[in-house]
Amino acid sequence: MSWKKILGFIGLAIYGVWTLGPYYLTVITSFKKLTDVFSIPPKIIPYADFVPTLEAYQRIFSTRAAWTFVTSLIVATIATIIAIIVGLLAAYGFSRFSNAPMNDERSFFILLTLRMLPPFAVVLPIVTYWVFMGLIDTYFALIWTYTIFSIPLAVWLIKGFIDEIPRSVEDAAVADGYGFGARFRKIIIPLLGAGLAATVALVWLFLWNEFLFALKVAGGKVITYTAYLPQLRLGQRTLWNVYAAMGTLGSIPPLIILAAFRRYIIRLYLGGR
Amino acid sequence: MPSGSKSSRLPIFLQLPATVVIWSLVGYVLLWLIFTLFHRYPPGKPPEFVGLGNIVAMLQDMRLYGAVLRTVYYAGLGTLIEVLLGMAVALALVNLIKNEKIRFAVLILFLLPMCLAEAVASVIWLMLATPEGYLNCFLRALGMKAFPWLSARWALTTLMIADIWQWTPLPLLLIYAARSSIPVEAYEVAELDRLSPWTTFRVVTWPYIKYAVVVAALLRLIFMYITIDKFILITYGGPGFASEIIGFYVFVQSFGYRNIGYAATLSFATLIVAAIITYFFWNAFKRRE
Repeated sequence: MSWKKILGFIGLAIYGVWTLGPYYLTVITSFKKLTDVFSIPPKIIPYADFVPTLEAYQRIFSTRAAWTFVTSLIVATIATIIAIIVGLLAAYGFSRFSNAPMNDERSFFILLTLRMLPPFAVVLPIVTYWVFMGLIDTYFALIWTYTIFSIPLAVWLIKGFIDEIPRSVEDAAVADGYGFGARFRKIIIPLLGAGLAATVALVWLFLWNEFLFALKVAGGKVITYTAYLPQLRLGQRTLWNVYAAMGTLGSIPPLIILAAFRRYIIRLYLGGR
Repeated sequence: MPSGSKSSRLPIFLQLPATVVIWSLVGYVLLWLIFTLFHRYPPGKPPEFVGLGNIVAMLQDMRLYGAVLRTVYYAGLGTLIEVLLGMAVALALVNLIKNEKIRFAVLILFLLPMCLAEAVASVIWLMLATPEGYLNCFLRALGMKAFPWLSARWALTTLMIADIWQWTPLPLLLIYAARSSIPVEAYEVAELDRLSPWTTFRVVTWPYIKYAVVVAALLRLIFMYITIDKFILITYGGPGFASEIIGFYVFVQSFGYRNIGYAATLSFATLIVAAIITYFFWNAFKRRE
């Protein structure tokens, strides 16, 4: 092996430590006692440097912190389902009907712009909207807001997958007397298959990860795990192990999705972020 | 459309739900912003019409200019580093690891930070960068002095480092995908012609990955401009205004000072800037296809 290659491998190894190290530290911190969290030299190997404990997790599951994960789950899941159904219909329209009213490039650009909107610039009007409706800090308000901001992403991704289904398949079904509904159920959705599942996963993931709307549209009675994080630092002393445990729990769904949909990740992130 | 379908109204019905749902809120948002940006909201009194007063105030707001400069530094330098680092790692992966299964597994591991919530990344980096945190623990264990990661001088740079940690995977992924699509024969020809590594990169690799690089850079630029989660969670714009970027300034005007009219003016202006950047992204993306 040439010295250039060796240097390259060393570079990759350093990048690996840089990428995975901070996450590793967070996970082990969640198993530390508060007194073990920061020390010099730092305790980084479980069992050898410190005795792992479930203290932080017990604390989370004995307070409403645990409920914040359930809230995140409910809100993200319902909003994803609505956004996917609505998005599926619209994407089919985009993909199959060149004469559709929203099908020119301009409207697709508007859709994309919605995805790229700065959340900080629309969060104030959206909060006033829900205050005006008397629905601020409710599940409904957060779910509806999430649905709206997920539709563009859902349409964008699903359209790409529908475009790949040859029209001849559908023409054959039409010849067999299938109506629109039957075509959709029996041909489009089964053929979308894993692509649709991956889209669902990505839309859901962005909502699970969302912070600003969770903080301001809800964030009081209804509070997701991301919006709950600032409250953990309000006291005099930060419970770093609990803080790390919240982060670790929040990171589990993303890791599962990354592992399960790794084959689609390139497609999805090209369309998504 | 599938031949034989009679109803020409079908596409309208298909897109109606999405259109109605989106515009029910987005329509309100736009109208509210345009109305509010011409008004002042003294507490406890009805709104006053101020004409272009808010816009004039915005153009004279030195604090905003400070935030603009910080945004240019944060998003500009951050994007540059993320794209260069992502490109280096992507090319190194493909050139060094020949076993495709191992290479793909390493790629997926490298993507981990990108899948986490901004909020979770903030937890991680706060724990690293806080004065008594891990970074200083490591420095002091090595006999060095603690470094003021979150001081007025360095806070913005620390936030940029956190963003580089989380989002270098995006350019890495996009450029990796583009690099993988280059036929091996192209490199075999380059080797036969005895091209230098630099020339090979310029003539063979670059034309294939060019658009991935441009798209990745524009995406990162947009998202560094519009994402303020780390700023809320790690520094809250501080110390002082030291890590206040445009987005965070709008957030503070909206929810901190409750300057509703002025916040709407800033929001509207930032929306227009975002639309312009998106337009460039759209053109780059179309060219790619």
